[in-house]
Amino acid sequence: MNRTAPRPYADAGTIGVALGVVLFTSFVVAGRGLGASGAFAAAAGSVLDRVAPNAIASDPTLADRLPAGIPISGSWIVIEIIGVFIGGALSAWLAGRWQERHAPLSAMRVMRAGIGGALMGLGARLAYGCTSGLALSGGALLATGAWLFIPVTFGTAILVTFLARSRESPVP
Amino acid sequence: MSAMTTVATAIPIGIAFGFLLERSGLGDPRVILGQLVLRDFTVIRVMFGAIVTAMLLVVLGSALGWIDVASIAMPPTDLGAQALGGVIFGGGFALAALCPGTACVAAASGRRDGVVAVLGIFLGTLATPVLWPALGTAALAAPREGATLPVDLGLPAWTVVLAITMLGIAASMIARRVEHPTEGVWWHLRAVEAGALVLALGFAVAEGGSASEAPSVDALTLAAWIKEGRAGLRIIDVRDGLDSTTYMIPGASAVPLVRIASVTAKPGETIVLYSDGGAHAARAWERLRARGVSDGRVLRDGMAAWEDEVLAPRAPAVASDSAQRRYQRARALSLWFGGKPSLEPASGAKPPASARAKRRRNTC
Repeated sequence: MNRTAPRPYADAGTIGVALGVVLFTSFVVAGRGLGASGAFAAAAGSVLDRVAPNAIASDPTLADRLPAGIPISGSWIVIEIIGVFIGGALSAWLAGRWQERHAPLSAMRVMRAGIGGALMGLGARLAYGCTSGLALSGGALLATGAWLFIPVTFGTAILVTFLARSRESPVP
Repeated sequence: MSAMTTVATAIPIGIAFGFLLERSGLGDPRVILGQLVLRDFTVIRVMFGAIVTAMLLVVLGSALGWIDVASIAMPPTDLGAQALGGVIFGGGFALAALCPGTACVAAASGRRDGVVAVLGIFLGTLATPVLWPALGTAALAAPREGATLPVDLGLPAWTVVLAITMLGIAASMIARRVEHPTEGVWWHLRAVEAGALVLALGFAVAEGGSASEAPSVDALTLAAWIKEGRAGLRIIDVRDGLDSTTYMIPGASAVPLVRIASVTAKPGETIVLYSDGGAHAARAWERLRARGVSDGRVLRDGMAAWEDEVLAPRAPAVASDSAQRRYQRARALSLWFGGKPSLEPASGAKPPASARAKRRRNTC
């Protein structure tokens, strides 16, 4: 494998169709779509259930969004996310893309990733899902909420990017 | 789902998901940032490609009777929460240039900002109960389960499926135009796009044809059938969330839409389905027809029509003989059902059509 020249990324249209087939397979064999933030909700819910059980149980709008009291070892979406890590690592390694990403990152980039991640964690709970569970899976099932979330999320993200763009690139 | 089935389905599906995200470059914040500055359209193309493909496979699978869409778990709809959540999420998405799924892929492929984003998502989720009151969540309404665009917009499913398919193809063409401005033929249909369009059009022809129009019965006829004790008449209320205080048409039994497949018809039985407006009842009729129930009907304009025409009929504004005869018939039925017929002809005799349509859309 040539470490200095990683393979180029695959055609987006082809990957889109392949991902659609995977999503449909998930609908059929698991009775649910793909997801990501749901796994974080299951993990955080089980932590909160031990630390402060009343914090969730006392508010039905929270209990609806943070599953508590369910062992995460048997949670479909937690196991699926473990698969996502394996698949992502496998693809990066096969394409020779693993090494290049050890480049040093600026403190600003790391801060943006952390704060951005925290905002996504909160926003996804409020919206009942993220770009995977709500936009992708809900969108394919014509869920009304998904088709509101898609333009709002991308519209906000594009707007914030244009407003916050500094002279230096935010991603090295 | 047993523990074995959970692992046996979740692991391969997760691996395929992560593999494809990394393959397309979505585990790379530079690619996502390229989308947010509208230079690289990988994110939109992968997302729309996947949504349109899965949507059309679901349409095809349920048309052929392979899958039951009602059995697939679907995110609920709460427009206020999802708009605010979308703004907060979108801001985080712009800062991190990663979303939760792609952050996992970035971390797995060795990017340290991916690892930090994953930690951030977990901490943000963990802090949700603390931040909850600050978001004005006291005003949150109960989410609507299973709300879909066709029902909420009052449109047939095929129009929404066709519109989304065409939107996806248009997005893909615009992406090609922006990414390869010198390429002359960006507007041509790729084979897979042509295939998607053919599928969506095929669905439109199959569904839009008059064959799938549910036979209906109007409220006064149904009232007369009940009064005369018509043989084999069975009335089913398919509204969600009924309780003991909800008014139901006399003799009706409650079977919510999700359980309608459990209904079986006896020979010679006429099943009349009703909901608030009629959209739920029409879907229930489609499911019953798919299960071989031949004499199913939908109460035209549902509970709204029952209230207007049977429970509270109004005298006609124009006192023609036929209108008077119709009112007298309605009045007699109304009194029999304990309704309150009004002799006062309102200026329009009926509430404005827009108000009726709006109520229908809100409730059904």
